[in-house]
Amino acid sequence: METAVEQIPLENFLFVSAILFSLGVYGVLSRRNAVQILMSVELMLNAVAVNFVAFAVYTDGELFRGMIFGIFVIIIAAAEVGLALGIILRVFRNRPGTAGNVDEVAELKW
Amino acid sequence: MRPDLNLDYALLVPEYILGLLALAIIVIDLMMPKIRKDALPFITAGGLAVAFAVSLLYIDTDDNFAGLLSIDDYTTFFRCFFIAVTFVTVLASAQYVQTHLRHPGEYYSLLVISTVGAIYMAAAQELLTAYIALELLSFSLYVLVSYAKMERRSNEAGMKYMLLGAFASALLLYGISFIYGASGSTSYAEIAAAFEGGTEGFTFGTLIGLTLIVAGLGFKVAAVPFHMWTPDAYEGAPLPITAYLSATSKAAGFALLLRLFSGALMPVIDDWQFMLAAVSAITMALGNLIAIQQRNIKRLLAYSSIGQVGYMLMGITALSPEVSSALLLHMTGYVITNMAAFTAIIAYHNASGAEDVSDFRGASDRAPLLAAVLTVALFSLAGMPLFAGFLTKFILFQSVADNGYFWLAALGVVASLVSLYYYLTVIKEMYVSAPPDSFQQEGRFRIPLIMQGAVIVLTLGVFFVGLYPAPLFELTDSVAAVLFTS
Repeated sequence: METAVEQIPLENFLFVSAILFSLGVYGVLSRRNAVQILMSVELMLNAVAVNFVAFAVYTDGELFRGMIFGIFVIIIAAAEVGLALGIILRVFRNRPGTAGNVDEVAELKW
Repeated sequence: MRPDLNLDYALLVPEYILGLLALAIIVIDLMMPKIRKDALPFITAGGLAVAFAVSLLYIDTDDNFAGLLSIDDYTTFFRCFFIAVTFVTVLASAQYVQTHLRHPGEYYSLLVISTVGAIYMAAAQELLTAYIALELLSFSLYVLVSYAKMERRSNEAGMKYMLLGAFASALLLYGISFIYGASGSTSYAEIAAAFEGGTEGFTFGTLIGLTLIVAGLGFKVAAVPFHMWTPDAYEGAPLPITAYLSATSKAAGFALLLRLFSGALMPVIDDWQFMLAAVSAITMALGNLIAIQQRNIKRLLAYSSIGQVGYMLMGITALSPEVSSALLLHMTGYVITNMAAFTAIIAYHNASGAEDVSDFRGASDRAPLLAAVLTVALFSLAGMPLFAGFLTKFILFQSVADNGYFWLAALGVVASLVSLYYYLTVIKEMYVSAPPDSFQQEGRFRIPLIMQGAVIVLTLGVFFVGLYPAPLFELTDSVAAVLFTS
């Protein structure tokens, strides 16, 4: 009976995480809404976590440093969301009538 | 499993002091509402002075904490460096915070916390620690940049900085994950050991990793293709935070880059050297050229600081012990000069509300001391002889040229010439243009004694580095040597 690690090559995980990461980058570049941009960044961070865990299982079997890294990535991402939502809320409260799109916030230029 | 972890908590005492100080400031702010207005900056400054003195006890230590943070002369140098920068920023903020910002307690304690992040960025010898330290500094700065929460420009700057910063750290992390995958470790020394044996089989992964790390860290230090947040964050942020951004956040980025690239990524130098050379060249050229058309003094200094990042990246590109020493020297000179310039601008802004270059007309009549200090600082930034900027740039360019990047050094000299133009436009406004009509009634600005003292000390520092650099040069030499001995 083969274990999952023997059946599924590392490349599959890297492939999934690359797709996730690319979707995140595409989202950051194409979305107008500040909260949606933030969600896309979260997607990128999840890709990072997948990568770390996959590498930890396949290449670093004893120390699990990648797993620990993954946990820290998740924690820091949560902190980042809290902070970012606070700032975004403040921005759009100071601009009544806007819909939360980043291109409505353009007082600083060049 | 490694049973021999060195958990000697005494190595981290300066950071404990800073952490407690940050906590104490908030508690004092809460418990004693009567004293808080004017006493807080001085309590903070006192605590920072204690931390500075304690840091000096670690000279010549060569140890590490659990393989995560190395406490050596390099760390001690940056501990003193960052604590000193925060000290100056806190003193320069005192009046500004009182008149412009609410919640001074959190302001000062976030400054202190971000100092801890900066110190750990210099001390980290492991990627996870380096990343957490980087985020500690960045998160504090996101809040501080948007600290004037009722002001639309400050909010906007904070939001842009925050969103782009989060994007950049995601890129950095994805890069780190590939380096981890290729080398099987997150510790700098083990990564170097793994790469020594060659990178066959994962060349492509390593290359992706290196590219993304350069992009992510390039964002943090504001190198050109990743610089778009810089002018906005500088312009929107409260003035003392702009000063702090231009000093600590840059120096910390370079402290991390220097230790990472000399410690972990040296064996794969051929894979990243050309990237950094290209980034450095565009950064110098573009930063200095765009600065020419700026009308706001904060934006002008933002682009000037981008240009300066180009010079410093040169030092990472041609990485060697003597270039690192020159880089540390240039960084010290640049930070002293920049703090002098910004302290003078803060004092002038407190008195006049000025932010545009044209508001500085006739400054030599309205505030002669500040105009003189700003002139010295701007000449030094442009690299005129006598001042710090000339000497440190000269040594940096020379050592870079000696290490095979003559074209980069030559480009740096041309970029410095360009920069002289826009620095001179500010000086022209101050000395040649007549002061506005209101000058007749108002007379000279009154500058608080503490600001006068601060700008004079910083100006003396600029002259000291420019005229008698030998002690500082010996210091940076011995500090840089630490990176290359292990």
